[in-house]
Amino acid sequence: MTSGLVVLAQATADGNAFAQMIVDGISFGAIYALLAMGFVIIFKSTSVINFAHGALTGLGAFLIAAFATVLDFPGRYLTFLPEWAQWTVNVLTALVAAALFGILLERVFLRPMVGEALFAVAIVTLGVDIVVRTITNDWIGTQPRPLGAPWGLAVVDLGWVRIAWSEVIQILVTIILLGAIAFFLRSRTGVAMRATAFDQETARAQGVNVGRIFSVAWAIAAFLAGVAGLFYSIFPRRATGVDQATAFIAFRAFPAVIIGGLDSIPGAVVGGFAVGIAESAANTYLTFDFLGNGFPGIVGYLLMMVVLLIRPYGLLGTPEIRRV
Amino acid sequence: MRNKPKWLALFLVLGLVLAACGGGEGGDTTTTAAAEEEATTTAAAEEEPTTTAAAEEEPAAEIATDVGVDLEAGTITIGLLSDLSGPFSPLVQVINTGHDLYWASVNEAGGINGLNVQLEVRDTGYVVDTHVQLYEELKSQVVAFGHSTGSPHTVAINSSLQADGILAIPLTWYSGWSDPAINANLVPHGVPYCIEAMNMIEYLTTQAPDATTIAIASSPGDYGQDSNAGAVLVAEALGLEVVYDGTGTIVATDPATLAEAANGIAGSGAELVWVTTDPTSFGGVYGQALAAGFSGALWSGAGPSWNPALIGPDSPIAEPLANDFYISQYYAPWAADSPGNQMVRDLVEAAGAPPLDYYAEGVIEAKIMHEALLAAYEAGDMTQAGVLAAAKSLESVTFDGLAPDETYVGEANDRLQRLQFISRPDLEGLAGGTSTGATLIESDYTSPTAEAYQFDAACFALEAG
Amino acid sequence: MRGRPLLYTSYQADQALLNTTTKKVMLGLLLLVVATIPFQVIPGLDFLGSDDWLRLLSTTAIFVVGALGLNLLTGLAGQVSLGHAFFMGVGAYTAVWLGGPEDAPLLGLGLPIWIWLPAAGIVAALIGVAVGPTAVRVRGLYLAIVTLGLVFIGDYVFRNWDSLSGGAQVGRDFPPLQFRLWKEEEPLIDFTTPGTWFGVEVSGLAKSFFLLVTIAVVFTLLAKNLQRTRVGRAFMSIRDRDIAAEIMGVDEFGYKLLAFGISSFFAGISGALLASFVVRVIPERWDLFLSVQFIAIILIGGAGTVTGAILGSAFVVLLPRLVGDFTQWLQSVALGEGFGSAIANVFVATTPNDFGLVNTFAGIGPGLSVAQLNLVIYGLLIIGFLIFEPLGLYGIWLRIRNYWKGWPFTY
Repeated sequence: MTSGLVVLAQATADGNAFAQMIVDGISFGAIYALLAMGFVIIFKSTSVINFAHGALTGLGAFLIAAFATVLDFPGRYLTFLPEWAQWTVNVLTALVAAALFGILLERVFLRPMVGEALFAVAIVTLGVDIVVRTITNDWIGTQPRPLGAPWGLAVVDLGWVRIAWSEVIQILVTIILLGAIAFFLRSRTGVAMRATAFDQETARAQGVNVGRIFSVAWAIAAFLAGVAGLFYSIFPRRATGVDQATAFIAFRAFPAVIIGGLDSIPGAVVGGFAVGIAESAANTYLTFDFLGNGFPGIVGYLLMMVVLLIRPYGLLGTPEIRRV
Repeated sequence: MRNKPKWLALFLVLGLVLAACGGGEGGDTTTTAAAEEEATTTAAAEEEPTTTAAAEEEPAAEIATDVGVDLEAGTITIGLLSDLSGPFSPLVQVINTGHDLYWASVNEAGGINGLNVQLEVRDTGYVVDTHVQLYEELKSQVVAFGHSTGSPHTVAINSSLQADGILAIPLTWYSGWSDPAINANLVPHGVPYCIEAMNMIEYLTTQAPDATTIAIASSPGDYGQDSNAGAVLVAEALGLEVVYDGTGTIVATDPATLAEAANGIAGSGAELVWVTTDPTSFGGVYGQALAAGFSGALWSGAGPSWNPALIGPDSPIAEPLANDFYISQYYAPWAADSPGNQMVRDLVEAAGAPPLDYYAEGVIEAKIMHEALLAAYEAGDMTQAGVLAAAKSLESVTFDGLAPDETYVGEANDRLQRLQFISRPDLEGLAGGTSTGATLIESDYTSPTAEAYQFDAACFALEAG
Repeated sequence: MRGRPLLYTSYQADQALLNTTTKKVMLGLLLLVVATIPFQVIPGLDFLGSDDWLRLLSTTAIFVVGALGLNLLTGLAGQVSLGHAFFMGVGAYTAVWLGGPEDAPLLGLGLPIWIWLPAAGIVAALIGVAVGPTAVRVRGLYLAIVTLGLVFIGDYVFRNWDSLSGGAQVGRDFPPLQFRLWKEEEPLIDFTTPGTWFGVEVSGLAKSFFLLVTIAVVFTLLAKNLQRTRVGRAFMSIRDRDIAAEIMGVDEFGYKLLAFGISSFFAGISGALLASFVVRVIPERWDLFLSVQFIAIILIGGAGTVTGAILGSAFVVLLPRLVGDFTQWLQSVALGEGFGSAIANVFVATTPNDFGLVNTFAGIGPGLSVAQLNLVIYGLLIIGFLIFEPLGLYGIWLRIRNYWKGWPFTY
């Protein structure tokens, strides 16, 4: 307790610690934001609460490990490229494979459930999660699988704050993906997707291929989950790569979704960064002994409860209108 | 008349259900049938019920048997309560392969005086109630338990083991297993976590004589807490200051706890670091500490914290870790030059399985069981109680250099295993496929503090109530 | 009314628990079978009396209590909860605080079972009602994630409250199933040790089995009766159309809270019994997977039906055992001779580099381990039931029953 207070006093006096806390929070928040965004995209366009998001994350990271380090495909045929470019091509291939897998999951397990109660569909995804996660774990096997990111241990030291190169890239990639998705939602398919989210039947009547929209949504979500899995599994997070516990990260992103609002993509981003920074802050400042171990891990959920008490549909979510 | 067909239907359904149950029963000759017979495990026994008395009457073999030993069919059945789907499944799967290979070779060479050993493996998933459930299932089929994974799990079946008079080998290195108040039916092996920490940390101080500070962190539970209890004891004895104590902090599935431990270690500026957890979490903590600018300290952790993947070809932390890390081991690494290791290598290579360190653990457990079974055979008592008594009277079990000798007689303090192995990471060997990433530097090592340590009870108590 | 079994002359008769003679007779038979299981007298079913099967069946009985609770909340009132494991944990730790040994280093008051068991339910119910307002405020799918949060927060509290739970990965022993009047040394009835009841030898497990089955029967009656009352109908009206229910004068907030309370009560009792039956439990036991298991139970069994909760519990508890036995059988076939062996070999790998769907060679190499196969089957069953048979096992049973009801004129 006393030691905790001393740490608190020191930390608040120390501006650098605060800056470091924010940077760490943003870096982790980016992972949550990517996961939350995929989750929201699925929910918005297909009204499915996807409990299989963790499985998609683990699978995406595994596929990247497989393509980038085990198979080195298609990089091994692209010898004219520098090594980092080969790696990037491998990763993109893996992410496309992950996206295709997302489409497959939706077609096989969720398409038959269209029109069923939302709750039933959500539970189907719980079943999908168990199946996919178990099979992925079998493929991952006994040892963590490295992803072979080219940045290695490189760290940017600005004096007042330190950040790994991989984290810089991760934040950049997240921003690019956010922009891409914002842009995509204004494209023809994006508009069709928003129309589907608003009212499936009307969208269909207007000539929107709703089935294709579902596929696109799952593909995007699986892609984003793969990216999140990638950055979660490399230095400095889990330096050794993807293992059987990787998939659990998605449970940390659920509060981000709810805080932002289940159906709001900007909300997912806000929620993701909010949870990341809250965890980081708890890690830096809430080091009191009586809080025991693992308190930062539930900060997201506590924040979620508080937000829900004030706004039951999340910060940026659409209030549910109850019609008779 | 509408009533009648319905009646008929219900009885038919009931009949179908019964038939289904019966069908499942019939197909399952090796398990349930054996449970009913309470003595035998073969299908032959079902056709012509052989009782234990009948087997005993045979003059050729004057061996007493009850459960798990079938003289007629020539089999001995050993149970394994393994975590094959829980957090330790990566390790235990390989350990079980070690069992498989060892017994296959023993059986090929004639078995235990002509009796073939077979394994009944059950997956506990590292859940205590499943563990107890499966114990209940196996106790009427096996003569002893080749291992029981997990400390709270083994504690949970300990009273049943004592009531039923069955032997089990705990697959955990908890120091409490050396306590005579607990281990009446257990034969532990290898250096306990607590003593291991004393050995390793004192060894680190010989490598860094100027070190005055140490940071410790661990997973929760007997594993991390027993280990760190030893770390605190040795730090006191050596005058090291514990500048960060993150005992019980690291939870594998919770990324924030890795950051917490890494920040704590990095912020403490310690010269020695002792982290007892699982390999991936270890990689995360080490990597994040590096990212925070922490370097130059010597690192180590209890045996299961290490995995060669940490220094694998694509691991970014390979180089610094190879410099900083000392590997603690309960048995000699794969590539070590000893007859015991050679035997393991031969077995594994013949089966075409990939080289890994953990087969050795399975072989060691199987070897202890082998000795116990031989002794029980000698004594003419291969009942569950007989095998237990035989194991408890083993004066010395040797592993031909694979692991330090074990003894199960005498005072607890004399029996306590204090010897272990220390290796350094071996980048070239791992990349070249000549080793599993570890070069042995110390065999049968024990530190002065560990040597002087007087054992009277577990370093970390698993409170009963 | 002989010969016209479906003609009811009063509302009471129509709504009676056992409204047909068949049901009465079948229930009687079932109870008789259950009562004789430990004595292994029925040929063909005698294996159920072995220790491990008694343990499985007792666990089933414990799960039935919990499943009935979740069924009231999710199946009847339509509120999806992933927080069931949390309430079971609350029940278990209430039990151990009240019933644990007094002079031990951990918290315990040494009170007898007739205090700690009901208290486990009551405390869980109180906490259920306390978190209710947050939960009731959010609706539908938000609720699923809020209750998911409960599991994680509960896990954190249980892991860190060392003096109560024994600590993460360490756990503690729970009070045994023993009946005492107060704190006397010798229990009046000990359900854990062998003894003689009415002149018949019964093992400890048989005693626990009888106790747990009795408790399960009592709770089944409770749940079944609740369903038939005003409260049960109010729950169903909220599930089917909450606004319509409110307009009819059903107090939505109050009934949702009540559903949470009752469901948590069942969960608390179930958790306390589970911990007590297992004896040693680590705080990680009350995790999300346990909640998912209960969701699976009511979905596989058939949401909203008491029969479904029972069938589902039996299914989920026995499934790992059946899958394990099946793969063992498959392995024995694969290792044998002839045509069957060739077919089985496709599915099962017995050496490290053999290919097969299931790898019984301790799990390294290609193919799923038996445990993994178990999980995959589990997941596929959840999916399969939801897609193909939303009414679950109960639905299948209904169809069988209706087929034979009209036999031979079924079409």
